[in-house]
Amino acid sequence: MPWPTTRRLIGTKIQRLDGVEKATGRAKYAFDIKRPRMLFAKVIRSPHAHATIKSIDTAAAEKVAGYRALYQIKKAGASVFFAGDEILAIAADTEEHLEDCVRAVRIEYTVQPHAVREDDALRSKTNTTGGPGGNNINAAGDFSTDNFENAFNGLAATHQADYGVGVISHQCLESHGLVAEWDAKQENLTVWASTQAVPNTAEGLRVHFKLKPGQVKCITNYMGGGFGSKFGPDIQGIAAAELARTTRQAVKLMLDRAEEVTVGGIRPSAYGNVKIGATKEGQIRAYEVECHGTGGISRGATVSFAILPYVYGPAIPNIKRRHRVARTNIQIARAMRAPNHPQNSILTELAIDDLAARLNINPMTLRLANLPPNDQAEAQANPRTFVGQRATIYRTEIEIIRKMCGWDRAWHAPGQGGKGVVKTGLGMALHTWGGGGRGPNPTRVTINQNGTVVAQSSSQDLGTAQRTVTAIIVAEILGLQPTDITVNLGDSSFGPSTPSGGSTTCPGTSPAILKAAETARDAFLTSLAGRLNVQRNQLSIAPGVVVNMANNQRIPFRQACGMLNVASIQGNGDWPTQKELQGNAKLREEWTTRLSNQGVGGVQIAEVKVDTETGVVKCSRFWAVQDCGLIINKLACESQVAGGVIMGLNYALYEECIYDRATGRQVNPNMEFYKLAGIADMPSIKVHMHDMPERGVIGIGEPPTIATAAAVGNAIFNATGVRVPIAPYTPERVLAALANRRAGNG
Amino acid sequence: MKNFTYYRPTTAEQAVALLEARFGNTEMLAGGTDLLSLQKDYIAQPARVVSLNGIAGLNTITIGQRSVTIGAGVTLAAIAGHVQLSRLFPALASAAGEIGGPQIRNMGTLGGNLCQRNRCWYFRDEHSPCLLRGGNRCSAIEGENKYHAIFTANHRCVIASPSTLATGLIALGASAEILGPQNRRRTVELAKFYRAPAAANEREHTLAANELITSVTIPVRGLTNAAYEVRQKQSSDWPIVQCAVAFSAGRNGEKATGVRIVLSHVAPTPMIAEAAGRAVENRAITAVAATAAGRAAAEGAKPLSQNGYKVRLVEVAVKRALMIAAGLPRYWEA
Repeated sequence: MPWPTTRRLIGTKIQRLDGVEKATGRAKYAFDIKRPRMLFAKVIRSPHAHATIKSIDTAAAEKVAGYRALYQIKKAGASVFFAGDEILAIAADTEEHLEDCVRAVRIEYTVQPHAVREDDALRSKTNTTGGPGGNNINAAGDFSTDNFENAFNGLAATHQADYGVGVISHQCLESHGLVAEWDAKQENLTVWASTQAVPNTAEGLRVHFKLKPGQVKCITNYMGGGFGSKFGPDIQGIAAAELARTTRQAVKLMLDRAEEVTVGGIRPSAYGNVKIGATKEGQIRAYEVECHGTGGISRGATVSFAILPYVYGPAIPNIKRRHRVARTNIQIARAMRAPNHPQNSILTELAIDDLAARLNINPMTLRLANLPPNDQAEAQANPRTFVGQRATIYRTEIEIIRKMCGWDRAWHAPGQGGKGVVKTGLGMALHTWGGGGRGPNPTRVTINQNGTVVAQSSSQDLGTAQRTVTAIIVAEILGLQPTDITVNLGDSSFGPSTPSGGSTTCPGTSPAILKAAETARDAFLTSLAGRLNVQRNQLSIAPGVVVNMANNQRIPFRQACGMLNVASIQGNGDWPTQKELQGNAKLREEWTTRLSNQGVGGVQIAEVKVDTETGVVKCSRFWAVQDCGLIINKLACESQVAGGVIMGLNYALYEECIYDRATGRQVNPNMEFYKLAGIADMPSIKVHMHDMPERGVIGIGEPPTIATAAAVGNAIFNATGVRVPIAPYTPERVLAALANRRAGNG
Repeated sequence: MKNFTYYRPTTAEQAVALLEARFGNTEMLAGGTDLLSLQKDYIAQPARVVSLNGIAGLNTITIGQRSVTIGAGVTLAAIAGHVQLSRLFPALASAAGEIGGPQIRNMGTLGGNLCQRNRCWYFRDEHSPCLLRGGNRCSAIEGENKYHAIFTANHRCVIASPSTLATGLIALGASAEILGPQNRRRTVELAKFYRAPAAANEREHTLAANELITSVTIPVRGLTNAAYEVRQKQSSDWPIVQCAVAFSAGRNGEKATGVRIVLSHVAPTPMIAEAAGRAVENRAITAVAATAAGRAAAEGAKPLSQNGYKVRLVEVAVKRALMIAAGLPRYWEA
């Protein structure tokens, strides 16, 4: 079952099917759901970063007009470990009464010491975060290649400096939460959730309530942003469902903006002192880093430095890493769009440009000289993998972007960004990501006698145009237009599907959609052949018609459907099981290297204008070249890349969680001082998709956001000749770096 | 938010009669862009809200030979889009056009902009200690203060005054018409309208709790004027530092006189940078003179732990505002 070799729709630019619904507000998100007699619920949270709960008194709250029920999350005596930690949830009849109830709850605390900054947490002699051990060190480790001690000896240039990026928040436009409703017998639960994992959210609730499979249904028709932080019901979803059961009414619990920022998930920080060295020809021989970061109160590996030096690691013979991860009294870290990669990109790509400056080499040239080599064994075993051809892909992409942005003309030596106070510079960075698909993603395509076609899967559309992807593939196979296909997604009763994380949705679903569409087509033509008294192989699909080669008749599709002697024809498609894939090399090759694949590289270049009097950085132009195997919808793909760039631009210039050291509270849990770019801050973004259809479908969600911040950081360096070490590159930091140079320290 | 009784008087006199002698229990509502968020955050918890939106005559702009009067209820969008105001008072109109986003400008009013509460993130977080909410310390002095005041001498509360219309109006010598109880009317120069609060029940201005600004009058003296703000984002953002300037003559090499330079976002009140004004008084406005004025404006700054960079931004904002007013090349527009 290969992808069609001549493609009428796949790979072209097709507008998303739900664009009008979204633009007009007809699309209803979980946040928009209104059920009959629906109650509202809110979580009451600790205002303290670390405290023990002395007492909880809800008596007054229970007397407030409109009060309906409460759900206890923590009891007196328990500890809270960040400002925002959940204590209980209350349901009331209106949002206004709910606020009154919430404010009537009296909770007394014994406040305990906290640490919200990495340096405080690393220094702390006590454990303020509730994890294991006697301090706040979460993980630590060393790695070194053999004989590292002499790695820098005899190198023409070495550079050593600090780089880093602070904690940022997911800041989903549609906040986390759901609406929960039980049926009259209190046996079956339906939730309308803002989730990246429809079946997992249903399953999380099913397990919590010890229900049987099928008793919880999760619906997510539209989704307002999820970047790795929405994979289950979360505590607030469980609270809503509990309150709905207690009250026998539907309950809505969506986080407000301050909650979204303070409990919706952070991306861990990462700081490192990097030493990098190269020969005079520009061969990077050694990379050494001492780094640290925090993933809030999360335990386990929250931020990984194992991929340092990022991208170029396989080309650098001597590598040494030492890392410590601190727990801090801030919310847990959640996977955020290419976990670890943007941070490690900053800890690598900025050092590369600084080294290039030391060597007096064009940073593009330095990168070309240190690309991770094609893995020859991989290339032999499977010519379509990324690892086997990564150097070739990067080289091709760099050549494309070099021409796109006019690098040879526009690039100048660092600090030569113009005579005026506004300096212009170019900076580049590379990235890589996996993005492979897997099953199960059962998909059903139904061809009805009335000529309608319906495709159905429980997978969710996060705004990535998954609905449109489904329609494109089905329409391609059935000779129809995407608008001819009704796509039903985001309903857990449609079966299992894989969570939308790690850029796996498109590669995970597309082969299953293809198989379902082909199965439906074959069953349709077989049935039709019986009706027409011809052999099955005398019928084929052409755009809009079924062709009967026996008499050269071209039957319009709808008319052909009308000839069916059954109400509908169904085709099901899904991945082989893991066991089948493992036991069958041919099957594995088909599904994981031809229909779908993994591994991409991308290159991005930023042009910035730095006002050296004010420190204000404006990203003026941006170029991105990205491979992602077989492109299903070029328009959506380019849109994903542009969206990734916009998000990365925010990492570079605006986003930071700012915590007050004394109270441990975040001072900017909003969109006012947690800054995000608006339309006027957008650069012109030029995207080039490096199409490699022979590699099958690969995900595109993560990769295009990775290199952006490093590219912007390098462009600032190129413009000014001054390295701003810590992202976001805000006016105070840019001015500080410029002043530092004037003082002769840089 | 806390429940409140809503009043919608139809005359200014009726509105004033509904106000109380102390702040807190009764609040005035115009565009609501500040009050509603203060209420939602439980920073303001009025029992009574007096809407000014039913009062006829608060939203008119009168262009006279000797003065211009702008009703307190005129929206920021109306000021920004007014052709004659833009021509006469670019310091005012351009600043109005840069406030927030279109939604804010369509709702926000002149009176609201002048009387808005400060944006200190500790003031607006009910769980953080704050002098203006009855606390015993200012959290910003030892805390996160990169957007706070840099002229902090003698101030226990280090908020940064947010109004970017006040600066232009002060530079232009405007006055507020104020209506009090028993129909008492008074006129206050906006230069004397503001004060630095340091306790609960103190506001950022000298308006009594039972007074209402009905309009602002700007003398038409043919002053050259302009405003410039340093902002990180071009869309929906507060300036980090903003400056408005006004002076007589001063273009085409003429000497500038009566120079007034006013800053916002640098002190608890809009601040007249007198030394800066003196630095260019009776001088032609050149890039060199403007630079000198910028330096003079920054003198006396006592920045906090994280906002020393704003001292530099004061120099730049003053310089650029003067150069815009003087019609000199905008060297920073690459």
